[in-house]
Amino acid sequence: MKGMTGQRHLLGTGVTLLVLFILSLSGAALAHESQPGSVDIKQLAGNRYEVIWKAPIYYGKRHPARLELPEHWQTVVEPTERLIADAHVYRRVVAIEDPGVHGSMVRFPGLEGTITDVFVRLNRLDGTTMTAVVRPTKPFAELRGERSWHTTAAEYIGLGFHHILQGIDHLLFVLGLLLIVKGRMMLLKTITSFTVAHSLTLGIATLGYASAPLPPLNAAIALSILFLGPEIVRSWRGETSLTIRYPWVVAFLFGLLHGFGFASGLSTTGMPRAELPPALLFFNVGVELGQLVFVFIALALVRSFRILQVRWPRWVEALPGYAVGSLGAYWTIQSKHEMRISKYETSNKL
Amino acid sequence: MNAKELKYRNTSSFSICSLFRVLNLFRTSSFGFRIFQLFRISNLFRASNFEFRISQAIVLAVLILAASPSLAIAHLVTTGMGPVYDGIGHLLLTPEDLVPVIALALYAGLRGASSGRRALFLLPLAWLAGGLGGLLLNDMPAYPVAIVSFLLLGGLIASDLQAGDGAVPVLAVSLGLIHGALNGAALKNGPAVLGLVGIMAMLFVFVALVSAFVVSLNRPWTRIAVRVAGSWIFASGLLMLGWTLKGQG
Repeated sequence: MKGMTGQRHLLGTGVTLLVLFILSLSGAALAHESQPGSVDIKQLAGNRYEVIWKAPIYYGKRHPARLELPEHWQTVVEPTERLIADAHVYRRVVAIEDPGVHGSMVRFPGLEGTITDVFVRLNRLDGTTMTAVVRPTKPFAELRGERSWHTTAAEYIGLGFHHILQGIDHLLFVLGLLLIVKGRMMLLKTITSFTVAHSLTLGIATLGYASAPLPPLNAAIALSILFLGPEIVRSWRGETSLTIRYPWVVAFLFGLLHGFGFASGLSTTGMPRAELPPALLFFNVGVELGQLVFVFIALALVRSFRILQVRWPRWVEALPGYAVGSLGAYWTIQSKHEMRISKYETSNKL
Repeated sequence: MNAKELKYRNTSSFSICSLFRVLNLFRTSSFGFRIFQLFRISNLFRASNFEFRISQAIVLAVLILAASPSLAIAHLVTTGMGPVYDGIGHLLLTPEDLVPVIALALYAGLRGASSGRRALFLLPLAWLAGGLGGLLLNDMPAYPVAIVSFLLLGGLIASDLQAGDGAVPVLAVSLGLIHGALNGAALKNGPAVLGLVGIMAMLFVFVALVSAFVVSLNRPWTRIAVRVAGSWIFASGLLMLGWTLKGQG
């Protein structure tokens, strides 16, 4: 029993350093700040295409990236711009001269300095479609016919992987669970139930059966992290509670919420129906891979600290619980503030 | 020494011999011959037992440093995941930084748990301090620091030198300050401080995992394997040195 408690303390203190790392990250990247953008190119007639560029609000400001169309795409209808809840939407109609849309390159200058992904979709009148995911590391897309399934798979796995690594709130929740869980079997059960739960809601939200508005969703996710703070401290003191006895139940319930959060990273509007299931599957695979890497590093660090006989001061041992709780509280207040601003802007528009 | 230990020592000698062959090639070049004569490193080849003198290594390192300053070439990595991950990406994609970090962790692991602990905390802190200093610098000339790090740390691992308790902390702080300063200068126009924080976190993870892994190695042949890895690092440093000298000529 003593060994188990010591091991838990070691886990707590070891992961403290990860928490500090996460703290430093929090200013730079939050899950709900990395909303994807989208470009929908729809054939209206002949060589006429409608181009809708949805640029997400980036840290409260206009997105620094802009859409650059090929030179042979001539704008024929005056471009329009409107502001919706979380994005600027730019619409224009273009006439595409020779050599046509096939092989055209759509570029996004300014995207390289951001953390935004952009989904590009082309829908033709004959029913053929083309999709691509543009990343800041490669801020352009070539519109070229159908793509192989493994190209799509790699794109969506990468997208899911990046999404979880940028989603500090999700990782912090997993970290909180790791701090509470005792024993390998319980760890397996807890991580599995979190995975099953968020996969369920991710699927439901992506397929359009249910949705959750972003500001209250972010507040609820932050609350789930805040909830874990006192439980970690309780566990550290050797006390017990429902969460400490059955962490997998809490993981499942809150996992349902986090799934809606993951869905915000996968924009499927206008995506061809045939491409939806693989996109969802591979995005989720990427999310799980990212989560596994995080859990693996945390556990490997714990083992390393044990081998290196790292001894922590008592106050450092208590830090993880307080860090998780404090960050949860901070994000809850921040989300509430964002909700108020959002409500104020909506009422002003009316 | 029992037969088993002798066998392992022989295996170790084999890798050291390979290393010596590379050194010998360098010695036969005219420049290498003068260097070897100057610092009596040739004695290494005549000695029946390999005794790598740390003072000789430091002199050689300083000589190389002084011989060939060049311009700093900053290469920034964009991961599309924010400045912290950009910093992590920079470290992962820069072998000149990554290999010495792994080498230090290997050497600290060979020296035991207490050395591993010291490296674990000192290296990231020194790197951050050096990096913050580097952010303030303008046009930093890049000495071939990587070559020195490769040679020094690779040589220490390959020889499994039983240096004093202070050796690993001194190495960790020196490596952190120098490489950190170069990193800081490189990241100044990119992820800057947040990039350094990412690097610091990654260093912590690397040193913890690698040094703990080496400490956990119980079988004698596994330590030999670590020393062989050190000899490869040394040989890589030697190759880099050759390219640098050839480039200058």
